[in-house]
Amino acid sequence: MKRSNPGIITRCVGKHGPTRRIIIEPPTRSTAEENLRAIVSHDADGAIIVDNSGVVRFLNSAAERLLDRHGAELHGQVFGFPLVVGERAEVEVLRPNGEFAVAEMRVVSIVWEGQDALLITLRDVTFERQAETALREAEEFSITILNSLTNEIVVLDEQGKIVAVNEAWLRFGRENGITDLAAISVGADYFAACAVDKTLTGGIDVLQGLRDVLAGNKEEFSCEYELPTSAGTRWFALRAVPLRGKRRGIVISHTDITEQRRAAQLAAEAEMLREQVRQMERELTNVDALSRPEDTARSRLSSLRQRLPEVFEYALHRYGSLLDEALQSRIHRTQLPPRALRELGEFLGSGWATPRDLIDIHLQAIRQRSAQSPPKKLQAYVEEGRLLLLELMGHLASFYRSLAIGELASRPPEQ
Amino acid sequence: MSKIVLHLYIAGQTPRAERAINTLRQMLEHDLAGYECELTIIDVLADPQQAEDQKILATPTLIKSSPPPYRRIIGDLSSVADLLNVLNLPPKTGSSMINKE
Repeated sequence: MKRSNPGIITRCVGKHGPTRRIIIEPPTRSTAEENLRAIVSHDADGAIIVDNSGVVRFLNSAAERLLDRHGAELHGQVFGFPLVVGERAEVEVLRPNGEFAVAEMRVVSIVWEGQDALLITLRDVTFERQAETALREAEEFSITILNSLTNEIVVLDEQGKIVAVNEAWLRFGRENGITDLAAISVGADYFAACAVDKTLTGGIDVLQGLRDVLAGNKEEFSCEYELPTSAGTRWFALRAVPLRGKRRGIVISHTDITEQRRAAQLAAEAEMLREQVRQMERELTNVDALSRPEDTARSRLSSLRQRLPEVFEYALHRYGSLLDEALQSRIHRTQLPPRALRELGEFLGSGWATPRDLIDIHLQAIRQRSAQSPPKKLQAYVEEGRLLLLELMGHLASFYRSLAIGELASRPPEQ
Repeated sequence: MSKIVLHLYIAGQTPRAERAINTLRQMLEHDLAGYECELTIIDVLADPQQAEDQKILATPTLIKSSPPPYRRIIGDLSSVADLLNVLNLPPKTGSSMINKE
């Protein structure tokens, strides 16, 4: 059957025979309504016919299933006047068990049982809406993951168009003076954006590397590049890998490695200074060994650390304080109180300290500071320490000298 | 004219429900500003019994119980003009009041 005009049904009879006979019958109201009833009854979508007051006059089995109610239960009840702006409206269809389905509602004016009526069709779109919601949530989850990363992430399709970015990437753009964020956001051409603003990648070689990964010529591309900013030079590590999945493209991550770079630089400087300290330790030990004959050294007292540990600890503490003060004096261009070091020298002399003990104290104090001080400070300690140690040795020597003079003076004249 | 009494049935805070509420607020505050109106919003997820008592089959449903004639509307409640037309509400003087259950 074919509908040519509203309310007019053209019937085709004997279309499989050798001769085709077509009978066109002028439709009567009852025939048209019967045909409409047959169509509506077998419609896969829920169909409810209401009068102008919204009272149910008919509903098909699909509508019964959708509403989860018997037709007899609803017949004669007020469903409501259907209001649609445009072609369709979405409604929630409530079921007796408290659940509901989402339905797309369309409305057509018809004549039903000789009265003006409205044919409401309800298409169950619950699954589609649930799928859309799930898809939206999955996309939101993916974006949340991207935004949780501190690396700047850009995902490109196979044409080089940006299909996803994270917040860190946009923040990076803002911080580097890009005012038109749309140029580096979803939908923009990444290579065009990089050609305009080189801060985004670091140079032409990088762009070629990205193109190689995009074309499948490289499994991965990575490089480090520096970027001059208002806060000084910053370093970034760029890594591009192919998008793993059905869609082709690449994922580019930019990681700010400025801190790691600085830390590595500081570690190298610190190691260099430590080596200097070790070298100085060797030199001083040798000087001490050469300063006394071997047999004398063995015959003398054992080290201050072993003999008088409390005196050694106090001297170490005092020497460390003087070292710190010496550093402050260097910064503020002031002078150390001259008596402080002389008093320490006399204190050590009263414990019969030797130059070796002074070297021991000095090295111990420097070692303590080398573990906690940045390289520049450690360098200053080493330089100031050398001067302080020499001066302290001078005071120790003066102390022993004055002791010797005093001893000589107190001896009775030789006969 | 007696007080305009409206009951809006919604199923949770869906975009459809929010659109319907906004339209009704706009209608009451502007088009029916001079009328004594009462709008009650019923969430059928929170109060399914009331929906069952009123034989609410779909949401959003808007019921005008006063003034007569009784009207029940289902579907897209985003057009103030369509709502006024179907609810048969020509403007008259009064005041408005909105409740939410």
